[in-house]
Amino acid sequence: MVIDDDPSILITVAEILRFEGYEVATATNGADGLRILEQIQPTLLLLDMRMPVLDGWGFTQTLRERGITLPVLIMTAAQDARRWAEEVNAAGYVAKPFQLLDLIEAVEQFQEPPQSE
Amino acid sequence: MSAETLLQYLNWLVFLVIFASTLLQAIRRPLPANIDIALLFGVPALVILIGLLSLIGSSPMPAWLNAVSGSLILSISYLLLRLVDDFATVPVALLASAPVLLVALCVPLFVVAPPLPGWLTALQIAYFVLLQLYAGIAFVRAARQVTGVTRRRLRAAATGSVLLGVDIIVLGLTRLGSGWMIVSGLAGLGTGISYFVGFAPPALLRRAWQEPELRAFLGRAALLPRLPTTQAIIEEVELGAATALGAHHASVGLLDAGTQQLHFVIEGDLRQYPVKDDYPAGQAFVRQKPVFSPDTPRDYPQYAAVSRASQSTALLIAPITAGKKRLGVLTVSSPRMVIFAEDDLALVQLLADQAAVVLESRALIDEAARVHAREEATRLKDDFLSAAAHDLKTPLTTLVAQAQLMERRALRRPDAPADINGLQRLVKEALRLRSLVLDLLDASRVEQGQLVGRREEADLTAVVREACSRHDSARHTCTVEAVGPVIGMYDPQRIGQLIENLIENAVKYSPDGGNICIHVWEEATDARLTVSDQGIGIPPADLPTLFERFHRGSNVDDRRFAGMGLGLFICRGIVEQHGGRIWTTSELGQGTTFHIALPRTTG
Repeated sequence: MVIDDDPSILITVAEILRFEGYEVATATNGADGLRILEQIQPTLLLLDMRMPVLDGWGFTQTLRERGITLPVLIMTAAQDARRWAEEVNAAGYVAKPFQLLDLIEAVEQFQEPPQSE
Repeated sequence: MSAETLLQYLNWLVFLVIFASTLLQAIRRPLPANIDIALLFGVPALVILIGLLSLIGSSPMPAWLNAVSGSLILSISYLLLRLVDDFATVPVALLASAPVLLVALCVPLFVVAPPLPGWLTALQIAYFVLLQLYAGIAFVRAARQVTGVTRRRLRAAATGSVLLGVDIIVLGLTRLGSGWMIVSGLAGLGTGISYFVGFAPPALLRRAWQEPELRAFLGRAALLPRLPTTQAIIEEVELGAATALGAHHASVGLLDAGTQQLHFVIEGDLRQYPVKDDYPAGQAFVRQKPVFSPDTPRDYPQYAAVSRASQSTALLIAPITAGKKRLGVLTVSSPRMVIFAEDDLALVQLLADQAAVVLESRALIDEAARVHAREEATRLKDDFLSAAAHDLKTPLTTLVAQAQLMERRALRRPDAPADINGLQRLVKEALRLRSLVLDLLDASRVEQGQLVGRREEADLTAVVREACSRHDSARHTCTVEAVGPVIGMYDPQRIGQLIENLIENAVKYSPDGGNICIHVWEEATDARLTVSDQGIGIPPADLPTLFERFHRGSNVDDRRFAGMGLGLFICRGIVEQHGGRIWTTSELGQGTTFHIALPRTTG
């Protein structure tokens, strides 16, 4: 699942991953993401940090409170991406502006894409 | 012994003691004024001695001695006139005719056998009383022009003159009854004491009289370093020093480290003097010792012209020094020699030390402010860079990743149809990046003051109408209210950008639509403009920082209203570089109005 409040980035990331054969769900903020998580169980979360309504920190805290464990990759344009990743106990980070292969490689560390056609 | 006689003896004793003390002063410092003072008290002392002689020798006083005694008493008036001239200025005609009249009135005492004709006595009394009255008035008027200790001294002198006039009148009345003798004795005693404290106040009294003003100044001193400018501080110090010392004028000269000159600001003019010890202020500065000169033209002949021009006959100067740092000098001056005494040196040094503390505190405050401003500038720059970088990275992320995705697709599936949505995302984000970059460039031009280019005659109403028509839509209507053309000298491109920005802003913050109304009119020499919307409004707390870089209203949802927060910063830059003003009024939930005043000419 991808969570980002910038619609262009959200769609682009989703498209890239879908093109690689992943199934992708999207959400535009943390609260939106939590609602969707009640219906699906994704294997990996791509999470923007600075978002309205519920930001990355609030979102990961709620995950912990609800006992949901799943690997999180944070996507951020901030300079201290590494520190933020540690703060929310994320599995890794991709720094914006990332290249297509950065994204794909980061995701593949957690999950190989299903065999594409 | 009767009360009368006791009073008389007391009177004599007081006058003799005062005379001895003023005589000592005149010998120690033979200034004209000091000699005048000694003479003034010498005359009554002499009269008293004559009176004592006649008491010892039981025989009645010879007529000539009586005449001497009478002449001496009459001459007191003239001597007083000379003292008035030491404290204020007596017309030359009066100063010259008074002794002639005195001689004319005294001669009959020696040549005419007593009793004198009544009219002559009346003339003598009139001469005496009128001069006393004149002196009293002159002292009161002089007192009005000064403050502190000098005012108190002059008032005492005025009191003495009035009392002496009363005394003489009463002496004329003593024939009417012995009760008047007591009144006369008391008036005489009062005169002596008043003159003494007025003309030659003992050090203890001087200090007591200086104290209220000194206390007031020291009380204010702690606040002085916070005054807006160093010049304002200096003026306060000067005022404090002048009032505490009862001087006519005080000025602070500060060392200019670059030119090594002492800078005085006198009545708005900068005067510069070299650091040399051949004139009083330079001497105090070079030798780091206070200087007292009651008669500057005499003590510093080469400096006489300056001291006459600046009406500073008497000078008290102390170096202003903080630790080993020589800051300048404090100069206190008066056109009258009699105003200062040697004892005042300690006071002027105390005031100079206080000035040093105040000026040093000021320097520290300035330094702290400079450091703070530097840090603030660095922090702003860092904030600017990191905010700009962050805002640029967002569209760039989509541009890079989306372009690579399309490339990957095209390589893997060359025959697939064009990804129109992807292309539109690319264009949209590229435009977003473009406008961010342009805004950043404009913002940096605002900083450099180079935003506004060549100005030409332009009609503001036309510019507004054109911008408005571009934004008139079903969701947001845009109306213009103007009575006619408003012509001024503007950079038309930047004014267009300003109005465009404000309209876009109004559209952006009116998510539910509404009317945007622009008024254009002339007001005196200004073109006036308001842009009003019916949008979400601005919280009052945000108004002061609205035009700062990266500032956006705290009620603005960051992502719903994209933008870097540079728009209004640029707007302000455009207006201010046209010499105008921009401000905002807003009601939360009701809408916002931006007000602009632009001078119509470049002057």
